[in-house]
Amino acid sequence: MGGAGPLRAIPCSDTVKVTVLYFARSAELAGLRTETISVPQQITSLQLWREIVKRHSRLADIEDQVVFAICQEYVPLGDQQFILHTGDEVAIIPPLSGG
Amino acid sequence: MSENEDKPKDAIGLKYEKLSLEEVAALVISPCCGAASFFVGTTRNNSEGRKVIQLEYEAYTAMAEAEMKKICTDIRLKWPSVKHIAIHHRLGLVPISEASVIVAISSPHRADSLKALQYCINTLKATVPIWKKEIYEEESSWKENKECFWFKGEK
Repeated sequence: MGGAGPLRAIPCSDTVKVTVLYFARSAELAGLRTETISVPQQITSLQLWREIVKRHSRLADIEDQVVFAICQEYVPLGDQQFILHTGDEVAIIPPLSGG
Repeated sequence: MSENEDKPKDAIGLKYEKLSLEEVAALVISPCCGAASFFVGTTRNNSEGRKVIQLEYEAYTAMAEAEMKKICTDIRLKWPSVKHIAIHHRLGLVPISEASVIVAISSPHRADSLKALQYCINTLKATVPIWKKEIYEEESSWKENKECFWFKGEK
């Protein structure tokens, strides 16, 4: 123990406040349209989804039907990692039905 | 007006009031074009055998406008002769038989505006964040476009 060991990677513990927007069925299940939440700055889209489901467990029903729009770009739930910034907009996007 | 004076325009609108075909026509008709093509999507009184009373639309407005602009950009790359593009989509409650979407595109000759029109409405259904809820007599359901790229139902 102690001594000059190799530097250990310190897990990134910075958190940021992002605005989550809920639409269509996701808004009905969450019971709200927008909220601000604190999440780790560095996060995968799937981890971000799990953070949101922790707050609104009914959203678990539509996990296989939604994608995110992070800063207005579509992102499927998965292992892709993001660096988020305070004020970023994260939208829950159920299947589209415009037209 | 010479051809040069009528600069190509993209007119995009998300509206809570009734859509006007006349207004959209005025946005695209051009003295240098021999074709203006229109698509009007209207709300239907039935869906999968159920009676629909009315429909309700909502949008992620800022992103929907951005995605519609992307479609306009793509159309101009694919069909450079296209002159004006107008896309109006209605939001909120829409009674049966009223227009939920109007797309209009002008070009010097009809082939390009017709092809661009079909591309425009198909891509809108696939990429623009707008949602439609069908309201029946006693309940309602959110619809899903088969064009939506993560749609998992029957195509």
